[in-house]
Amino acid sequence: MNANYQLIWQITRGQRLRYLSAMLALITASVFLYLVPLMPELAIDGLIGEEPDRASAISRWLIEQAGGRDFLNQHFWLVVLAMILLAAIAGVFTYLRGRWTAIASEQIVWRVRNDLFDQLMHLPTHYFDKAETGDLVQRCTSDVDTLRLFLADHVTEIGRAIVMLIAPLPLMFSMDWRMTLMSLLLIPPLVLFSFFYFRGVQRYFKLADEAEGRMTSVVQENLSGIRVVRAFTRQGFETDKFGQASDAYRRLDFHLYKLMANYWSVSDFLCLAQVSLVIIAGGYWLANGTLQVGTFYFFLSAVNLFIWPLRMLGRILTQLGKATVAIGRLEHILGHPRESEQVQETELPPFKGDLRFQDVSFSHHGDNPALETVSFDIPAGQTLALLGPSGSGKSTIVNLLLRFYDPDSGKITIDGQDVVALGRKPVRKQISVVMQDPFLFAKSLKENIRLALPDADDNAIKEVAMTACVHRTIESFEHGYETEVGERGITLSGGQRQRVALARALLEQPAVLILDDAFSAVDTETEKLILEALKARHGMHTTIVIAHRLSSLMHADKIVVLDKGRIIQQGSHQELVAVNGMYRDLWRLQTDHESESNQGAGSNDR
Amino acid sequence: MTDKAYDEDDEIRRLDFAAWFKLGRFALPHRAALAGLMSAGLVLAISESLLPMITARIVDDALSDSGGDKLVLLGSLYAGLVLFNAILIWFFINAGGIAATGIANNVRRALFDHLQTLSFSFYDKNPVGWLMARVTSDTSRMASIIPWFLLDMVWGTAFVLMISVMMLVIHWQLALLVMMTIPVLVQLTRIFQKKLLLSQRGVRRVNSQITAKFNENITGVNTSKALVREAQNLQEFQRLSGAMFQYAVRNKLQASVYLPLMLAIGSVGVAITLWYGGINVGTQLTLGELIAFMQYAALFYIPIQEMSSTFTQFQSAQASAERIQGLLETVPEIRDDQQGQLEALSGPIKTIEFKHVDFYYNPAEKVLTDFNLKVEAGESIALVGATGSGKSTLVNLLARFYEPRSGTILINDRDYRYYPLLDLQSRLGMVLQSPHLFSGSILENIRYGNLDASDDEVRAAARKVQADEFINDMADGYQTLIGEGGSRLSSGQKQLVSLARAVLADPDIFILDEATSSIDTQSERLIQEGIEQVLRGRISFIVAHRLSTIRAASRILVIDKGRIVEQGDHDTLMAVGGRYASLYKNQFVKHEAMQFERKA
Repeated sequence: MNANYQLIWQITRGQRLRYLSAMLALITASVFLYLVPLMPELAIDGLIGEEPDRASAISRWLIEQAGGRDFLNQHFWLVVLAMILLAAIAGVFTYLRGRWTAIASEQIVWRVRNDLFDQLMHLPTHYFDKAETGDLVQRCTSDVDTLRLFLADHVTEIGRAIVMLIAPLPLMFSMDWRMTLMSLLLIPPLVLFSFFYFRGVQRYFKLADEAEGRMTSVVQENLSGIRVVRAFTRQGFETDKFGQASDAYRRLDFHLYKLMANYWSVSDFLCLAQVSLVIIAGGYWLANGTLQVGTFYFFLSAVNLFIWPLRMLGRILTQLGKATVAIGRLEHILGHPRESEQVQETELPPFKGDLRFQDVSFSHHGDNPALETVSFDIPAGQTLALLGPSGSGKSTIVNLLLRFYDPDSGKITIDGQDVVALGRKPVRKQISVVMQDPFLFAKSLKENIRLALPDADDNAIKEVAMTACVHRTIESFEHGYETEVGERGITLSGGQRQRVALARALLEQPAVLILDDAFSAVDTETEKLILEALKARHGMHTTIVIAHRLSSLMHADKIVVLDKGRIIQQGSHQELVAVNGMYRDLWRLQTDHESESNQGAGSNDR
Repeated sequence: MTDKAYDEDDEIRRLDFAAWFKLGRFALPHRAALAGLMSAGLVLAISESLLPMITARIVDDALSDSGGDKLVLLGSLYAGLVLFNAILIWFFINAGGIAATGIANNVRRALFDHLQTLSFSFYDKNPVGWLMARVTSDTSRMASIIPWFLLDMVWGTAFVLMISVMMLVIHWQLALLVMMTIPVLVQLTRIFQKKLLLSQRGVRRVNSQITAKFNENITGVNTSKALVREAQNLQEFQRLSGAMFQYAVRNKLQASVYLPLMLAIGSVGVAITLWYGGINVGTQLTLGELIAFMQYAALFYIPIQEMSSTFTQFQSAQASAERIQGLLETVPEIRDDQQGQLEALSGPIKTIEFKHVDFYYNPAEKVLTDFNLKVEAGESIALVGATGSGKSTLVNLLARFYEPRSGTILINDRDYRYYPLLDLQSRLGMVLQSPHLFSGSILENIRYGNLDASDDEVRAAARKVQADEFINDMADGYQTLIGEGGSRLSSGQKQLVSLARAVLADPDIFILDEATSSIDTQSERLIQEGIEQVLRGRISFIVAHRLSTIRAASRILVIDKGRIVEQGDHDTLMAVGGRYASLYKNQFVKHEAMQFERKA
């Protein structure tokens, strides 16, 4: 907990002076705020009253400074004007307090948001393997907001409550110590009550939140499973289920209202009772002549000024813990080491594209090895095909090449240089990858294609789109290349996304192009066209193809067959069909379908 | 995500009570609570406005010659009123709570019920997140403002009036003088409330964009890294976070101007009182009255500010109310014929016939064209064709999730629109490729197929599709909780559970849409036997890529661009060497290849 408060202290760096200024403004504003009701005191006790000597010391001093009682009585408007001026000054400092805390807290939060975003862009891949997107997003949004509330509102509310209480004390004591004590009598029970009450009922808020969450998930499951609901005609069942969840939430929500009713009525009662104490005690001392009317008015005003902020104090104090929890959760992201980088990231001259895996082994977090002593090489400009069942290590090869992970042992080289020594970004810059389920951003199609090269011109974009056989599809959309992708725009089919991603990859003119099952959703004829177009670019980049359709692979210069993280066969198509093994079995399965189909249902499932 | 909900958030409209009145029926059951709430507000305003008056009497009594002999009486009266006010506050929060939560509950349930009747075409157009926002955030926002709006309007108006009356009673000339600050307060409040609302909306809008941005960039982090987009992404993000800073600071600055300004104007009222009263005290009003007057003058801004802020919230909740009302008024596209030609679907389904069926989702793209098909009980039909050829549409039409744009579908030789919708749909058993499961136990999920099934029947259904084994292997067996959407099961296991669910439903028509695609080849062969046994004597439609599944069908339909281009059994079609043969080569074998396993 303490460590987390330190974290909060740390993130305020750069803004502490502003906070300090805000604090000073707050104190100034409070002092002036209490000088406002002093003016009626001055007027009533010192000017109008018959015993001006019994006015408060400060009022008497002020009257003297302003030119004496008679002068002020003749120029009564001066007092009134002073009162308005004091209120205005208090207002100005209140505004400054608000302004400086707003800027300070929002600046801090601004920086935290940017830091979080930047950090997320640079965390190692294994961090994301373990984290859930929803949880990360929540940390970056609601935890940041909790922190913001703390920095912007809670800190200042607590400060205000305390300053407002302390600022008038000297003045109050100097005027009448009995009235001062009377004014403070109910403050301890008020603060303690709100603190302990809120701490006690905290869990009901959580319960209500959980009930709301359950209700929401019933709706969500129902709506996203509407087909199942209809297909089994379970509308009635669902309605009952939702009704129960909704009723349950309602009960807990109403319980919160009841708790709030207790809280507000008791705390309002305590506040108002404090005011009544001042009035009744004041009335008593007024009657026995030991209290002046103006002083009475001053105490009445003062107690109204400091009692209401105090009412919130206990409640806010219970919220403080939340900020420390939030910053702890943020630190989990911000404090995690970034992707390691031993070398300075300098621009590298373009690769030729000689790729080599030398005895590369890798396992995820010490699980079963995903790759075991894998070795192969591809000369620049050639095509390598990877084949194997899912989990055989094909994608791991891609991930290692892109340096999402680094090998446990062995070496990967490009043009003879160890990729680990080259730096991540420079290597990634020269490798393009198209995934089976490519990720597109919520931008226009044009923006999506030129993600890596934001300055690319329209012609270049059109050209790669044509190579990827997606140009005509794009043109058929109403807004063409400006069509927005995602929630605000159109939803592309899997095959369309794959082709856009291919165009995006080609635009980079990478030294190494990786097609990771990149045409799985593209229909056969289009795929053929794309492969033709790509063939025309043969030699321009080293290509790694992962596919299941042998027709897509057979023209590769080399085919590597993987199983359980090991290479079980490698060679050209001709070499591999000539020998007994997995490749030939598969080849037979895919070509001899007719003869095979006549043999009946027995052996054809493999 | 409910991002979209923020976009349409609190648009400021001209106040229009139409939607509110229509939603009034949901408040009707809580009219007693609402009436109590408003009465409490009225009484509270009166009681609160009496307090400064009592203070005045206490002061005047203390200063009088009698020397405060009424202090006990007046003090008790004051304390009594304070207690009374606290009780009123307790009462109206409770009453408001009953109304707010009760109205929300009624509206939610009505919305949910209504959503159960709306057609699939509606769901196609409205994303789940959007609909959820109606049932959750819109409903609670709309319902929770109603009691507080009513309360604040009654209390605020009464309070302003009472303060005015009190001041007029004490000294009407001075009262009129002080009341001149009211229009200034009102006008300023209106201006600031609007500004605050606008900047608040800006904050919310940017906030939802920031959330979306985080979501997008975390999901696509590997893509960004591979494209070395980190720096540009950060730049784009900084534009948003910068906008957020500006809106947030603007909003806070407006608030920091508003309150001190109100206080300062309030003190002008007090100052006027002091000036006028100071000169005339003793002649026109007593000291006590002067003090009461100053208190009243300082109180004015509170009800004005309260009313205005509630009013603004009410205005912005109007959009929620209108959206809710709009959703409730949406008429289901497909529903039972209202003219009453309905006839219950009794007896088993013997034939299904598609006659000249045309269908499209949008008029520019026809999905089915003049589609004709007749199926008899006992037949199993395999549907084969490229993605988008119309296979799933066929299934959707059959289930009457959609209806033909032209042509008819006959069941037992009668247009299926003349059967009650629920009659038909209760005869269906559907298993989809990515089946939807509900959070809860495996047992509950299978039982969804037949709510009256005993545990033994559930187990029997699971055994039929070979799901029994994996379920028993799990820690809690059938009681295992599977998480939201079945997230704790593999996709193959989900398919098995959903198969068992359909088997338990014992339907006349089975629809298997890629139902076993994620199940490994060996298990699939075992399941196949179970499925064949289940399908016997019923009508089944099977969409599949797996050879063994397709081959087992009694008839294979090859569909292309919404028409049947070939039909027959496997051997016949292979012999023809047409579309089926080429699909077989390109598509099914590829599917097999993806599934291929290590040779022994």
